[in-house]
Amino acid sequence: MGQSILVVGGGMSGVSAALEAAEAGYDVVLVEKNPYLGGRVAQLHQYFPKLCPPYCGLEINFKRIKSNPRIKLYTMSEVTGIEGEPGNYKVTINQLPRYVNERCTACGKCADAVEATIPSSFDYGLGQIKAAYLPHELAYPYRYVIDPSIVETEDGAKAKEACPYDAVVLDDAPKETIEEAGAIVWAAGWSPYDASKVEYYNFNSSPDIITNVQMERLAAAGGPTGGKIVKLSNGEAPKKVAFIQCAGSRDVNHLPFCSTICCLASLKQATYVREQLKDAEVTIYFIDIRAMDRNEDFYTKVKADEKISFVKSKIGLIEPGENGVLVLNGENTTTGERFKAEHDLVVLATGMQPNTDLSKIPADMVYDEYGFVQNAEGIFGAGTVRRPGEVHVSVQDGTSAALKAIQVVAGR
Amino acid sequence: MATKAYDKSFREEVYQNVDSGEDVKLCMQCGVCGITCPLRDEMTHGPRQLWSLIRAGKRDEVMNSPDIMLCTSCYSCKVRCPRGVKVIDVMHGLAHYALEQGIVPRKETSKFGKAFWDSIYKTGRVDETEVPMRYTMMAGPIHGIFNMLEMMDIGRALLSHKRMKFKIGPGLPPSKKIKGMKGLKKMLNKAKAMSPGKEG
Repeated sequence: MGQSILVVGGGMSGVSAALEAAEAGYDVVLVEKNPYLGGRVAQLHQYFPKLCPPYCGLEINFKRIKSNPRIKLYTMSEVTGIEGEPGNYKVTINQLPRYVNERCTACGKCADAVEATIPSSFDYGLGQIKAAYLPHELAYPYRYVIDPSIVETEDGAKAKEACPYDAVVLDDAPKETIEEAGAIVWAAGWSPYDASKVEYYNFNSSPDIITNVQMERLAAAGGPTGGKIVKLSNGEAPKKVAFIQCAGSRDVNHLPFCSTICCLASLKQATYVREQLKDAEVTIYFIDIRAMDRNEDFYTKVKADEKISFVKSKIGLIEPGENGVLVLNGENTTTGERFKAEHDLVVLATGMQPNTDLSKIPADMVYDEYGFVQNAEGIFGAGTVRRPGEVHVSVQDGTSAALKAIQVVAGR
Repeated sequence: MATKAYDKSFREEVYQNVDSGEDVKLCMQCGVCGITCPLRDEMTHGPRQLWSLIRAGKRDEVMNSPDIMLCTSCYSCKVRCPRGVKVIDVMHGLAHYALEQGIVPRKETSKFGKAFWDSIYKTGRVDETEVPMRYTMMAGPIHGIFNMLEMMDIGRALLSHKRMKFKIGPGLPPSKKIKGMKGLKKMLNKAKAMSPGKEG
């Protein structure tokens, strides 16, 4: 078969696009920025509305990738240049050094030897990990990474010495590669909106104000607390948990659009709290609860829990109270009352900012006013770079982009 | 269950006659304005409820709400409104429109405004002795004197720091007029004629 399809982004939509194209008989180059595949889905504790772990689906996909010789995978890589036209692209790929080669068996001896720690980006900065690390316990590829900060230090030498398989390569360097492709699928995903930009929530003022993505890590067994939902200020279980919806969404000063998933994510996370902490009370502060199609049933189910209450109010201020308590100020727009409510853990439901808003595709593309990308003749957006949405929509969108890409390269 | 239709006439009246009145349509009733307001504890309704009342056709409640004259133009609500509603413009627009209709939503503000503009129309400047004197006297001479006695310490301090001129009473001695008083009056009259609800 002639030309390849290049897929940028190894999250849910990118992996779906790559697999669908490869299994239809096309060669695929898959480029992922992180040292592992799975993107933001790999960081989730559970899916809504079924409350099942995302990893079982991801593992099936990884197995499909592993057994498919048509997929060529680049991790820790970014596309920095695209030249040419549909049917004939030359794509520049910059790969950062992993300092660990394929001989790695993930035995973990390098991590034992190393003393330096770095913030865990997989846990959205909530915990510290060793500077020689496996990205997470089910990572694909299942291989360690050595952080560049220790390569030239004593720790780097210790890691190399500890490795029984000669897998640590301290003189590993960045590589630039040019790949040829007939069509490109851009599935670079999204980033959680920076909560500190919503200044009246004073996000950085207390470790007990966290974001929804951090809450996923707090509840996940592989997370910084081993899956225990606690207040990071003192390690105690929270008694009154608040979720603030539209934290920086549907707001002309921040993300003007609705991300469509944050309501469901908070409803889901409310069940995490209730599952673990029988006495904890949960309050969800909202403008409107947007639970579409089948998710309406999930909303109804969560609403039936008498320890989960709903207050129609966009919180206007979080201020510190006594003994580390957080005081939420709002106007209940159903009753008209202005209130101050005390909580000991606050979760900000921040929205999805398309990564194409933060960093543009190195090609002539058209974006909408929010930074979501429009399809071009040979370059197709897939998943959350096209519009915000939940995981199954990303899978469908990846499949759809694969078909469009196949139409470009077929017969060439 | 019997339903009652909202009176749509008042909201149309606001959209057409009040400065930025159509912005009320943008509101999604989130409640951030009312919480952002530094005078929230003094307000009866706050902007969000006023918008809701406008939509519901509650003319009397809106036009007589002291809130529309309490707004100090700090701009916090306008900066934070997630829908970009020009909250302050509408608040002042409502106050202005109420006065035009012969309604005084908050006497104190209206009196102070009169004292303020009288001073500008007469002398071309805001005389910092004259305006508060006239304002306190508007409640009647006895009330005015008591009020001034209450403020005596502040007055003394201002005098000793040369922050205020000494006057026996309003207009004693009269304030100095600016040069070009005629031109200023022309400008003020034109601005007044151009205000929303007058034309366009």
